[in-house]
Amino acid sequence: MARQQGWLALILALAISAAALLIQFPLQLGLDLRGGSQLSLQVKPAGTITRVEREQLEAVKEVLDRRINGLGVAESTLQTVGDDQLVLQLPGEQDPSRAARVLGTTALLEFRAQTPGTEEEMAGLLALKRQTQSVLASRRARVDPAEADADPARALAADDLAQALQELGVEVPAGSSEIRQLELLLDAVNTRIVDLYEPAELSGRELVGAGRQQQQTGTAWDVTLNFTREGGERFARLTQSLAGSGRLLGIVLDGRSISEASVGPEFQAAGITGGAASITGNFTAEEARELEVQLRGGSLPLPVEVIEVRTVGPSLGAENVRTSLIAALVGLALVAGFMVLMYRLAGVVAVMALALYALFNLAVYALIPVTLTLPGIAGFILSLGLAVDANVLIFERIKDELREGNTLIRSIDAGFSQALSSIVDGQVTTLISCLALFALGTGFVKGFAVTLGIGVLLSLFSALVCTRVLLRLLMSYPNLRRPANFIPRAQLPTAAS
Amino acid sequence: MSPLASLLRVRVNHRRRLLLGLSAAAVFLSLLGLLLSWLSPAIGAPLRAGLDFTGGTQIQIERRCDGACEPLTTASLQRRLAALELPADPGAQAPRLGGGAVQLLDEGRQVVLRLPTLSADQSQAVIAALEPDLGGIEPAGLGIDTIGPSLGAQLLRASLVSLGVSFIGIAAYITLRYDRLFAGLALLCLGHDVLITCGVFAWLGLLAGVEVNSLFAVALLTLAGYSVNDTVVVFDRIREKRQQLQGASLADQADAAVSATLTRSLFTSLTTLLPLLALILFGGSTLFWFAVALSIGVLVGAWSSVAVAPTLLPVLGRR
Repeated sequence: MARQQGWLALILALAISAAALLIQFPLQLGLDLRGGSQLSLQVKPAGTITRVEREQLEAVKEVLDRRINGLGVAESTLQTVGDDQLVLQLPGEQDPSRAARVLGTTALLEFRAQTPGTEEEMAGLLALKRQTQSVLASRRARVDPAEADADPARALAADDLAQALQELGVEVPAGSSEIRQLELLLDAVNTRIVDLYEPAELSGRELVGAGRQQQQTGTAWDVTLNFTREGGERFARLTQSLAGSGRLLGIVLDGRSISEASVGPEFQAAGITGGAASITGNFTAEEARELEVQLRGGSLPLPVEVIEVRTVGPSLGAENVRTSLIAALVGLALVAGFMVLMYRLAGVVAVMALALYALFNLAVYALIPVTLTLPGIAGFILSLGLAVDANVLIFERIKDELREGNTLIRSIDAGFSQALSSIVDGQVTTLISCLALFALGTGFVKGFAVTLGIGVLLSLFSALVCTRVLLRLLMSYPNLRRPANFIPRAQLPTAAS
Repeated sequence: MSPLASLLRVRVNHRRRLLLGLSAAAVFLSLLGLLLSWLSPAIGAPLRAGLDFTGGTQIQIERRCDGACEPLTTASLQRRLAALELPADPGAQAPRLGGGAVQLLDEGRQVVLRLPTLSADQSQAVIAALEPDLGGIEPAGLGIDTIGPSLGAQLLRASLVSLGVSFIGIAAYITLRYDRLFAGLALLCLGHDVLITCGVFAWLGLLAGVEVNSLFAVALLTLAGYSVNDTVVVFDRIREKRQQLQGASLADQADAAVSATLTRSLFTSLTTLLPLLALILFGGSTLFWFAVALSIGVLVGAWSSVAVAPTLLPVLGRR
């Protein structure tokens, strides 16, 4: 009896601490329930690296962490997943496009000197670039084509455009608009210009900081750079070698020329010193800010690709919470009704154990903590049904024993001990599936496996300990200690026969 | 009534041909469904693969309307999509949206678009371009899912590997606890349950356009654990009856075990089906087919542990 009371005290203490835990630490809701955006990034091997190693993944994460901080997104989390993936969660964010842009590019900034003897080709490309940029600007501003074409600097006849595209080997999808064709041309020109440069002398690794400022004339923005001491010296040597030579200093971002600067002869003596520079790339305010964030964060050691984006609006998430809550309550009520109908007093005990099970389950979610997602809740609801499985096994055994004419207390004890082996076998096979899901699945599959696995373990505790202790407690009341509370009287063997 | 006969309330082994015939017919129909689906040019796979496996972008938009929404046709939205030119990343081509699918739900309040894989920028461009047609958008009701094509292949591989690992793990455990014959039978039942569930979805895909997503894969894996759970309870009883009823035929021992566990097999399936029923009725569209898949699996699983495993055991155990 003392042992029984010890167990009962333990269950009560656990129930109270579970309730306290849930009040203290509310459940964490996943993005599909509270609204927000989630981006999955795949790190891709490049160059001599054929496999992404742990430390490279961490290095990529470090750079991305800095970029996210630069963006100033509140309570975002970035986690590595598996061997070569990262998941960024942005609660409340409805438009993940800026984060995708800023995180998805390598942002390798290079300073390169123009190769001698390419002056003529460069002049042609730069003229084409300027023309394309100005036509593109006027088209985007929706200037009336007739008016714009009157100004020769802004005109680019359809034939000339087609010819330029062909010369640069650009494939244009059928039916592309003029703006799209101009964009393709500009991109091809910027790629071709890079071919006219020597290998990089200086890269974004030599930066200590970056900023942005609006140009004094016009609305465009510049991005300003601060070099390390070593970088500043290299920048001075590079500019000194180009000063007055007529060759250009190229600023290249991810293989595309973003700015071409000439260095005046006045720098022949020492180059541009002071360890600072600015990129005049005619950026918009938004572009300048994104580049600044990327340069501050550093370039990615390996390229990444955004492979998954999921965005859920807050009201859609609230709807998910509402429907799954209703489903959980209805599921609980149906199971409870069934148990009481079929097993009478024992059914009532099973329902109490089920309620304890649900409470413990939620407390464990809060403790670990498990972030609740929609599939996770589905796993929880499903486990409500699985949790009473063990009770059904035990109660059926108790009925068998009663039919054979055993006393109630003996039947209850026999029911528990004889059902044990099949209960354990059954739960172990479910746990094996959970382990496979957890080890090999990603993202929400893992979430489902965790909730189902916790459910299976707790259901063992609930069925084998809670039900038993509660049943024993009730059996200490003589009024309840009657076989008819467990089984229809007709099925009992009559004492007379 | 002899003591043995009183233990044989249900004699599944007397109706072995009928029971196994029914299972064989269901397996045949399932294989047929999977095959037809594979041969169908519109599907080209044993099951109609959804967004999670094929990759692509799904955009769900809630329209902002006071009272009734203005009437809208999918054709007009499709024309707008076909004419749309999306921004492209440097060096990449932007996809064309002419072939995208448009669906109107909830009396035109919800619009669901199925498009090729789009970047986050491109998704926003699509929404911005459609906004005038839709007459206002409720930003809180927006849902965008983009799955890259490589992720779909990864998911398929991960699902198949996890299923294989579960099979092996479960077989090893049952061999350890029982013997190789029981393990083989449990795996056979498991394959039977998974195959029929897939078969039903192959037919649903063929006839009703139902797609399988990653939740379906999760349902199959859950089933792998659960279906054996049911079978093991019968096995446990068969082992017990073998000792109690020494001298009786294996068929009678198996029947006695089924008789003793039938109520609880039905009841545990029922208690699992009840929460699933709640999910089907109230769980919302995301979990609907997931709950349907699990319900089918639980029903077939109950059938196979009562009608297939105990009737095959005497046949295979005799050799």
